[in-house]
Amino acid sequence: MTAASRYKVSTFWIVIAAASLLANVAARAAEPIVALASGGDVDTVFIARANALYRGDDAGRRWTRVALPAEIRDGAIATLAAPAKRQGVLYLAGPGFGVWHSADGGRSWVARNNGLPSLDVAALAAHADQPDTLYTYVPGKGVFRSEDAGARWKWIDNGPRGPIGQFIHSNMPGSMQTGWLFAATPKGVSRSMDCFCLWQDAGGLVAAVTTVAYDPREPKHVYAATAKGLLLSTDGGEEWTLLSAPASRITALAVSPTGTVFLGTADGGLYRSNDQAKSWERVDA
Amino acid sequence: MRSLVSVACIVLAAGVAPAHAGNDTPVAPNSEQAASGRAIYQTYCASCHGANGEGAPAWRERDARGELPPPPHDAQGHAWRHSDAMLSRMILHGWRDPFNKTERVTMPAFTGTIAPQEVRFVIAYLKTLWTPEQRQFQREESQRQSFAPAAH
Repeated sequence: MTAASRYKVSTFWIVIAAASLLANVAARAAEPIVALASGGDVDTVFIARANALYRGDDAGRRWTRVALPAEIRDGAIATLAAPAKRQGVLYLAGPGFGVWHSADGGRSWVARNNGLPSLDVAALAAHADQPDTLYTYVPGKGVFRSEDAGARWKWIDNGPRGPIGQFIHSNMPGSMQTGWLFAATPKGVSRSMDCFCLWQDAGGLVAAVTTVAYDPREPKHVYAATAKGLLLSTDGGEEWTLLSAPASRITALAVSPTGTVFLGTADGGLYRSNDQAKSWERVDA
Repeated sequence: MRSLVSVACIVLAAGVAPAHAGNDTPVAPNSEQAASGRAIYQTYCASCHGANGEGAPAWRERDARGELPPPPHDAQGHAWRHSDAMLSRMILHGWRDPFNKTERVTMPAFTGTIAPQEVRFVIAYLKTLWTPEQRQFQREESQRQSFAPAAH
């Protein structure tokens, strides 16, 4: 083979590899983002697509695909939770496989479902200040709490009137106990202290809410997404203001410990804001 | 004062943080203690929370002033969700709903009005209003000591 033909063959394979890479990136980007989490590591964000998980380091500038057990790959991830102040710890959950826990950034996974009435978990939230305390929601069964990193679950409440699509725990001041839960429901945002004394509508959002998040640096700042777009409350959910969002069909929100807001969409787009959702930049994930 | 008292007892239903209203020994629904507690409850709490712990009729919704009405303390309420320590703290130190539309407290503090030992009696009485399952739940809550300090 001449040098010229070797060159042609090499070029051919380089083009094929590049095309394949681009196709993979494009296909990946088209998959809806179903959940986002940012908690333990200041500059780390996790994004979940239906049955794939990615870790973004350096505030989403470097991406790594996280290997998942077969049980999760064959299912559909519904939710992620990253406890504050615990580096490398991540939980994910979904219908059919329940709650799974990784303590090493996703290199290994353990199922954590002891005490749950079913593996059909729809929502999962990490306590804002207590790294081993988690809340999970099983439709038709209610809210369950674990205080030992998911090793044992205990029923704690029936939940709000409507089903919970996703929820978070917040350390916003004023709770009788240790914080608050904000739940995205088909009828708006539902809010309860973590004593689960009373679920109440958070403000007048009478629309289906797909996802909710709060700013750990400004705990009264709560974000919610509806079909109308992205909304922000600066008073713990009483009044809501429509923001300018970078895309429609918002499916996931998360705010990092440093205040970076991440937004995922049904089209697979991921966006980042460093100024409390005033301006956005697209993230290649 | 009457309204204060009632509000105070509201908090009972709500319960609050850890704190130590005497000691951490779980309060048992002992009949003698409960009988004493019932009398104290009737004096200080019943005007708001009802003679039988039934609370205000529409306690789940804010009233016209934007305040949460007194909740029940019976099986329909949520007092059973709180540990003894939290209930004690709520009665003695009070609580204000941060979403209150007025400046008034939601539950007034009863420190100086009800002695810590009497608070324990009131809690013993409340336990007689709950179901066995609720008492079990509350017993377990009282045994856990993972509440954050009264930071909020």
